[in-house]
Amino acid sequence: MTKLILNRRRFLGTTAMASVALASPAYLRRTSAQGSGEVNIWTYNDFVPQSFKEQFEADTGIKVNIRLVDDQGKQYNLLAAEQPNPTVDIMTVAGHRFLQFIDNKLLAPLDTDRLSNWGNINPSFSESDWSTINGEKWGAPILSGMEVLSYNTDLVSQEEAMTWDTLFSDKYAGQTAYIIQDMMSIIMLKMGYDGNMVAYMDDPEKAAAIVNEAKQYLIDKKPLVRKYYDSGAEVQQMFVNQDIALGHSWNGPAAALINDGFPLAMTIPNEGSYGFVYTYNVANNAPNVDNAYTFLNAILASPEIGAAMTKASGFISTYKDATNYLTDLEKASTSFPEEQLANLPFFRAEAHEMQYGLVDPAVEAVKAA
Amino acid sequence: MTYDASVQKDGDDSTTSGGSRPFWGRVVNWRPYQGLVAIVTVSPRRQFFILVAFPVLWLLTQHLGPMLQMLHVSLLDAYPVAPGTAHTFTFDNYMRFLGDRIFWQPFFRTLTFAAVFTFCTLIITYPVAYFLARHVSRKNRMLMLLLLLIPFWVGEIVRTYAIMILLGNTGAVNQVLKWVGLIDRPIPFMYTSFSMGVGIVYLTALYMLLPLYSALEKLPKSYNEAAADLGAGAWTRFRRVTLPLTLEGISSGCTLVFLISTGFYATPVLLGGPSTTVFAETIAGFFHVAGDEWPTGAAFAVIMFAGALAITGVFQRLMKALRKGDTA
Repeated sequence: MTKLILNRRRFLGTTAMASVALASPAYLRRTSAQGSGEVNIWTYNDFVPQSFKEQFEADTGIKVNIRLVDDQGKQYNLLAAEQPNPTVDIMTVAGHRFLQFIDNKLLAPLDTDRLSNWGNINPSFSESDWSTINGEKWGAPILSGMEVLSYNTDLVSQEEAMTWDTLFSDKYAGQTAYIIQDMMSIIMLKMGYDGNMVAYMDDPEKAAAIVNEAKQYLIDKKPLVRKYYDSGAEVQQMFVNQDIALGHSWNGPAAALINDGFPLAMTIPNEGSYGFVYTYNVANNAPNVDNAYTFLNAILASPEIGAAMTKASGFISTYKDATNYLTDLEKASTSFPEEQLANLPFFRAEAHEMQYGLVDPAVEAVKAA
Repeated sequence: MTYDASVQKDGDDSTTSGGSRPFWGRVVNWRPYQGLVAIVTVSPRRQFFILVAFPVLWLLTQHLGPMLQMLHVSLLDAYPVAPGTAHTFTFDNYMRFLGDRIFWQPFFRTLTFAAVFTFCTLIITYPVAYFLARHVSRKNRMLMLLLLLIPFWVGEIVRTYAIMILLGNTGAVNQVLKWVGLIDRPIPFMYTSFSMGVGIVYLTALYMLLPLYSALEKLPKSYNEAAADLGAGAWTRFRRVTLPLTLEGISSGCTLVFLISTGFYATPVLLGGPSTTVFAETIAGFFHVAGDEWPTGAAFAVIMFAGALAITGVFQRLMKALRKGDTA
């Protein structure tokens, strides 16, 4: 076999070629995301109304590339894997997940001075305590959601639906579904604890004991559940196919079914539940920052756009006066009585590290049990 | 091999004078092409390496590469990490599996499900393959095979949703049972090990059918005729002649279906219920969770891969011993 002999010139050439080849994926990825008139968005289904997208593209010449996500964790991992050269400009982070993204330098602070339409957001969302972290704003609130008990009105009475106990009752054995991760917080609340775990930040042992108690409750009730699900589309399908009579869900997918005329209703049960807010955020090192701000300002421009987002997704708009553009049925499907809203604290981020450190293994334990 | 340049040159001249030199003729006489050929064919060794390079590159980048990357990630303490954060090598992710019994249940459940579903697939597809290979005329076989393959023209998810439409509370099966008068209320087929089993058997049937068909088709009819002449009944002929001589097809089919079944994710998620959580779902859980959990997911994936390979190895040895026993 001939020996592999490299002279200095050939060695330098080969090294340069290899370096170019190794560096090319990051370069190509960045340049492909950096098209002159593009904005790359990771968001949930129906969070960018199609009519708005078409109008925005026609008016600005900026192409909107949407990649659908269905989970905050997946979104976090995707972005973490792509940094420091992300392909995304705007992403959709729930307010209570901010800290995790901010701590790992995945988000850029939002320059609200560049958003002339910032004032169109209801101040109860744009100026609330969770929206300002380290003295900065990190996202533009667009839609508000909550964990609700949804039920088929042909099969379950409203009175029954006013307590989470019905979800775990023998009467509806095999006819219920929920997202375990979300139910962990709700069960803690139902048991009289702080599901946000902020109250136990200085007492990790108590926090662990509470999570363990909630986990054991869900394991004990496992024979009664029909399905642990992950996405809004799944629970919609189960209701439509009459595979379940009631279930925990986000209000958005449930409202969408109600608006379609399905015999469904939802409550915030007496034991309480949690609310959350979806925000549009600019990624750190985003390839098209200017286009991202142009998009954000445009989508915040009018309450009609907020109403269109509500119509498509079922979640509640954070825009001022958006309800003026909803039909009576849509208003009914996105509003709750005051006495129920009184039982609705919002998810908080302060204890997220401890919370997810305890809850994630508990979720796996419930699944595996 | 020698190369007569003068002959080639003459030939080239004739096509040039004709003015209608074919495309490949022009390519062959194109200088850069000739230069490339001269470099490539300078020695048999170089030809061999160039030929080998593409398949090896394909294997390394498309098959081994991702697996090695997964192995690498499984040995890290954190991944993905924020820019500028260092990580170290550790075996903790593997120890987490061994140290926490929570994860054993989905692991062994997966292996058990895979084994049971593989057996079911074999039992269901063997008669189909037998019918195709032994009773359908040669000219109709391809048509029948194509008909059986039609569902496989669409993807796994679409076929899984088809099963959901069939087995749902308002699905076709419950509708028919209700119409016939056998039931008043729908039977909850969905989100059980039954619905998951139906889905997996349906999705993997092809991988069992083709090796079985291939093995049965090769089996000369005269063997069975000879056995019949010697007084063997139908069952004896199947047990003593057909089955032993198709063990190779059974072995290939079972290996394929078992390995595929251990890795199914979407089907158990969509068709399974709370008590059918498989290891792929556990692994996916680590990749979905926001945080530094990818290494644990990667380690669990490596454990699943190793476990499935080990069982397949034992199965193959068993089948080999069976084949030897039959031919001895």
